[in-house]
Amino acid sequence: MNKRKTLKAVLAGTMAISLTACGTGGESTGSTGAAGGDAGKDAKKDKITITFQNIWPDATDPKNKLMKKVVADYEAKNPNVKIELDSLNTDQQKMKLKTQAASKEVPDITVVNPAEQMKPFVEAGLLAPLNDMLDQNGLKGTFQQGILDYYSFNGNTYAVPDGNNIGVVYYNKELFEKGGVKIPTTFEEMVETVKTLKSKGIQPMVIGEKDTWTGSFLFMNILLRTNNGPGFLKDVAAKKKTFEDPAFVEAVSKMQDLIQAGAFQEGVTSFDYNAGENLFKTGKAAMYYMGSWATGGIETSSVNGKVGVFKFPTVGGKGNPDEYMLAPGSGFAVSANSKHLKETKDFLNYLMINYPKEAFANKGAVGVAQTVEGDFKAAGYSDMAVEITNLFKSVKGGDLAFDNSMNPGTSQAHLTSIQNLFVQKKEPKDVAKEHQTAFEANNK
Amino acid sequence: MNVLKVPGRTIAVFILPCLLIYVGLVFVPILVSFYSSLLDWNGIGASKFIGFDNYVQMFTADPVFWPAVKRTLMFAVFSMVEIPVALFVAILLNRYIRKPNFLVSSYFLPVILSVVIVGQLWKTIYNPASLGGMLNQVLMAVGLESWTKAWLTDPSVAMYALYIVALWQYLGYHVLIQFTGIQNIPSEVYEAAKIDGAEGFTADRYITLPMVVPIFKISIVLAFIGSLQAFDMIMVMTGGGPAHATDVIATLMYNMSFLSMKYGYGSALASFLVVLCLIATVIINFLFKKLEARYT
Repeated sequence: MNKRKTLKAVLAGTMAISLTACGTGGESTGSTGAAGGDAGKDAKKDKITITFQNIWPDATDPKNKLMKKVVADYEAKNPNVKIELDSLNTDQQKMKLKTQAASKEVPDITVVNPAEQMKPFVEAGLLAPLNDMLDQNGLKGTFQQGILDYYSFNGNTYAVPDGNNIGVVYYNKELFEKGGVKIPTTFEEMVETVKTLKSKGIQPMVIGEKDTWTGSFLFMNILLRTNNGPGFLKDVAAKKKTFEDPAFVEAVSKMQDLIQAGAFQEGVTSFDYNAGENLFKTGKAAMYYMGSWATGGIETSSVNGKVGVFKFPTVGGKGNPDEYMLAPGSGFAVSANSKHLKETKDFLNYLMINYPKEAFANKGAVGVAQTVEGDFKAAGYSDMAVEITNLFKSVKGGDLAFDNSMNPGTSQAHLTSIQNLFVQKKEPKDVAKEHQTAFEANNK
Repeated sequence: MNVLKVPGRTIAVFILPCLLIYVGLVFVPILVSFYSSLLDWNGIGASKFIGFDNYVQMFTADPVFWPAVKRTLMFAVFSMVEIPVALFVAILLNRYIRKPNFLVSSYFLPVILSVVIVGQLWKTIYNPASLGGMLNQVLMAVGLESWTKAWLTDPSVAMYALYIVALWQYLGYHVLIQFTGIQNIPSEVYEAAKIDGAEGFTADRYITLPMVVPIFKISIVLAFIGSLQAFDMIMVMTGGGPAHATDVIATLMYNMSFLSMKYGYGSALASFLVVLCLIATVIINFLFKKLEARYT
């Protein structure tokens, strides 16, 4: 009996030990692996690894190809550096970065969104200033005027953007012809166009409103007009205006006009961004309001060749169509705690110096944040792409998306409130009040 | 039974690894999360200790909190309603089907499907008629055109549409549990009852029902706690929208923590959910203790 007891105790002990051993065992293998790599190269410079978190996981995407090429080129020139790619889709990356940031383990290079959205990361001291990197090889001069401001805080630039887009209305020329309508020059005409198309059984517009920012992006363009120009949210933040301002109330009421006219597909809040866009890309809808980044996707879809673009029109006779919803893209930021800060900045510099050229070659140069040289038409870009590059030339300023201008708490309340307009008719005054209450609660 | 008579020390050694893992992975995070709920924190930068302000805000000033609690509790109530149904199905299967295993597996099938797949599946079923949603097409085919709706985007019905999906998905789970419970009742008991003249539903009333009470309890607890934590299916199908119409505590918590970046506030919601689950378990246990006492 006694023997048995001992056996049991031993068995249990072994089990406990093996369990804990497992945990440490896994880790130690990892570190030996890295150490082994170092040992192999002891004659040369130390081998280092830079983690490059990005949002280009799709291997068919021109940007994914571009990235792989630049990385390979750089590794060939710098044999001691290995660039490790961590490719995630946008939502996953946002979530992963937030968890990494909470434990202060931001990857060497990561992706952040402009202005208010990257501010918490900057304030927490997680990102490294990139001023010196921008001066290297004249990188700063390649960026379009003013774009870096959205990534700068207190005189330091913390990220470099890959894109700079504007809000435009894509339209299906074939369906416009079938419905017997012309490009609307005012918002009121747009509502009439919607009604005409609807009466002829053509789906006038589509939107993926499950994602909520899509509706907000459109709404903000209306507000940009009713406010007679940019800066509404800035004025609210500076407490010079409130959300109960007539310009805001009018924008809500105009937005409702469009929705009530039956512009959007049924069940609109259950469509996510991709599902909404797909309706347009498969020729099932006549109009689609979106950032110019959608151009590439439309070009590779079945409606390619039938699509044109127009500027968002004036609303109630107000506003200037040359003022756009501006969408400076996500930017690359470097971790302040990176173990290889110097090498990381060097690689990022190389990537961004080569970006415009490689993007142009891969047909992904519409809406790049840097100056792109080259003849789009001659390089085989579609008419629509050329049309959009021409629109870019007409830009006379504009506004940023709501969540780039306001803190996350207020933004979230706004997004929900606008989503509600798609399913319920509400008094514009109440919507304005809802916004103001949320703003005050989040700006104590 | 003798085998189990080992000294406490040995038991302790066997339990220890599990206990450590449990404490480390479940208990500690709950405490950390409770501590976070006392902070004004965006989850990234500096945090500020604000005591119970998040809770005060949650209970008194948040217009979406109480409706979300109500929806969550409704979810739990709906999910419990299906358990008697599951028991009934299990009894029928046990009695009238010669080889019921295949049927039980079929009922169980939705449970093993990933929630994302179930969500996508039902999304197409609920689609508006203009997009060929199956449910609406069926309604139109039988002449009930006036009943058609955009099920998931009409704030007044969206939540019920989600309840139905959960009921559909988990019915098989409870059928399986109940069925196993019934099969574990020794056949001698029924034979003895037969000799005494109790057959069919009389036997069920006096033998099956009392003897499945413990299993029944497991089902109830699982269903109740499970639906208090309902999250994934709602996230896939509506994301809590349109305009909070389908937000439950868990989706609200997620949105607050990660979208509004109010990590402290999200933690307060999480802590509330933990307490709610504890209370629910205690109440259910208390009710069943009485019931079990009656039959043993």
